[in-house]
Amino acid sequence: MTASLLPLLLAVPLLAAGLLVVARHRVVQRVLLLAVPAASLAFAVVLLQLHRDEPVLAHQVGAFAPGVAIPFVSDTLSALMIAVTSLATLGAIWFLSVTGEDRYRFVPPLVLMLHGGVNGAFLTGDLFNLFVMVEVMLLPSYALIAVTGTWRRLGIGRTFVVVNLLTSAILLTGVGLVYAVAGSVNLAVLSDAASEQPELALATAVVLLALSVKGAVVPVHGWLPQTYPATSAGVMALFSALHTKVALYAVYRVYSTLFDGPAPWAPVLVLLVVATLAVGAWSTFGEHVMRRALAWQMVAGVGHILVGVALFTVASLGAGLFYMVHHIVTMSALLLLAGAIEQVYGTGRYERLSGLMQRDRAVAVLMALGLFSLIGIPASSGFVGKVAVVSSAAGAASWQGWLLLTMVLLASVASLLAMQRLWVGVFWGPPLAAYRPDSPETGRARLTTVPEDVRIPVRLWAPGATLVGVQLLMFLGAGPLMAITARAAQGLVDTAPYVEAVLP
Amino acid sequence: MIIAASVAVLVTGGVYLLLQRSMVRVIFGLALLSHAANLILLLAGVSAWRGEPLPDRVDPAVATDPLPHAFVLTAIVIAFAVTVLMLGMAVIGHNDDTKRMPATGEERAT
Repeated sequence: MTASLLPLLLAVPLLAAGLLVVARHRVVQRVLLLAVPAASLAFAVVLLQLHRDEPVLAHQVGAFAPGVAIPFVSDTLSALMIAVTSLATLGAIWFLSVTGEDRYRFVPPLVLMLHGGVNGAFLTGDLFNLFVMVEVMLLPSYALIAVTGTWRRLGIGRTFVVVNLLTSAILLTGVGLVYAVAGSVNLAVLSDAASEQPELALATAVVLLALSVKGAVVPVHGWLPQTYPATSAGVMALFSALHTKVALYAVYRVYSTLFDGPAPWAPVLVLLVVATLAVGAWSTFGEHVMRRALAWQMVAGVGHILVGVALFTVASLGAGLFYMVHHIVTMSALLLLAGAIEQVYGTGRYERLSGLMQRDRAVAVLMALGLFSLIGIPASSGFVGKVAVVSSAAGAASWQGWLLLTMVLLASVASLLAMQRLWVGVFWGPPLAAYRPDSPETGRARLTTVPEDVRIPVRLWAPGATLVGVQLLMFLGAGPLMAITARAAQGLVDTAPYVEAVLP
Repeated sequence: MIIAASVAVLVTGGVYLLLQRSMVRVIFGLALLSHAANLILLLAGVSAWRGEPLPDRVDPAVATDPLPHAFVLTAIVIAFAVTVLMLGMAVIGHNDDTKRMPATGEERAT
């Protein structure tokens, strides 16, 4: 019964998006924009409860025979990811509506279409359908990246479109090769098949290559720090919570379903993860703009998340998934707070900002809590996530484990130092004297003296503050959340219940 | 074999065009690459020596697999939509050869 409701998670956002193109009343737009992701969040929480007793729910779309139909499958991992991404989407939408960006023509339908595509990608149990869902998710993003902006954003949008389209062609090729070798693209049919067939392992590697470009794994990460910071803060928070994370979810799903244990080329993956950690953390030093630094930290976060796949034990997969949940929430919070600062003071550059600690105490405290979480200093979800990742790496007791452990620790120190530069530049120093306000015509204007009483209004930092609060709750409730991610990891390693539900 | 050779030609041309400066050429390059991907999908259905998948004309045992055809159809629709969008971007963006921004009064980001 519940299983047949699964396609609604895709259908409702898409229908609502279509409706919002026609229904342009402001109240209707805002209500639907908030109600649809909230409904997804509620449904996902219900699913999480259901999966305690019944680990996998599957629905064959169109009631075709199992194996022929496109299955929509929900297990603990899918439900968890839908819940977290819906939450982050709500935060970003809240911020977009405070800054007024949701009143641009077509922004509400585009955001809902993005949300629908993300839900579909989490639920689908078919590789080709995954490609379609990724495209459903990317098409609105091509528009969103430029819709709120200037000519420069249009140029950045080109990079984004070209990289993603090229990657989609590679993904499509990979799916074609998988079909050519195995005769099916149904994940349940393909379960553990790649360990026995070397050709299928190669075809899967092409799929994973495409997914790692979309997930920004070094050395194919270059597009992310180039494009993301050029969009507006709200859109960047939306993208950071959804795009790379969908790709990483797909890496987790495809890798653990098709391979029964680590892939033959697992050592290569370990080295790539090490490189991702190193490049992400060190490159943060080179940036002098808040959101550009955070974009590099996103690359480092991808490395932490993929430690789970690289080691491929139940403990490491669970730790990686916990880190992914933490990273989505924390990164959204930081981006929204940085966006609030940019919105008021017109810039995110370290050298243009100073002394915000005296001016905006609340924002400084929130930003500090968010940065603690990003780096993994206690009393934050990042601390729990890093401890889990490090202890699972130590538990693996292999050269891969020790290498990854060392690199996670080194990357944490590097991130700490780099984030201190952000802190010193933005929050310390003499009170801010002059700033560049947004001019209504061009987006930029001359330097102007800051009046004494200018503060970041509460409504601007409230979305970020809420997500920082969620992050603290995740620290306090780490036990139950760990249990959920451990169940999700168990479902990835032992695919028998998944196969049984999809192919009864 | 002839399809495999076509894929090779399409990928070669696609990569060459993708590395050009002009947005329109990049779009053509991506179109060629997506055609190459579509041909690879078609190959997965073993169209080389099998009959068309029509049950009343061809014995199902020697007919091609129709599923890759459906894949290709979906992929073509998606590629078409994205190509239109990119052509739109090519029109409204800046001039690729001179890098001259349209006169909007916007200051350069410093």
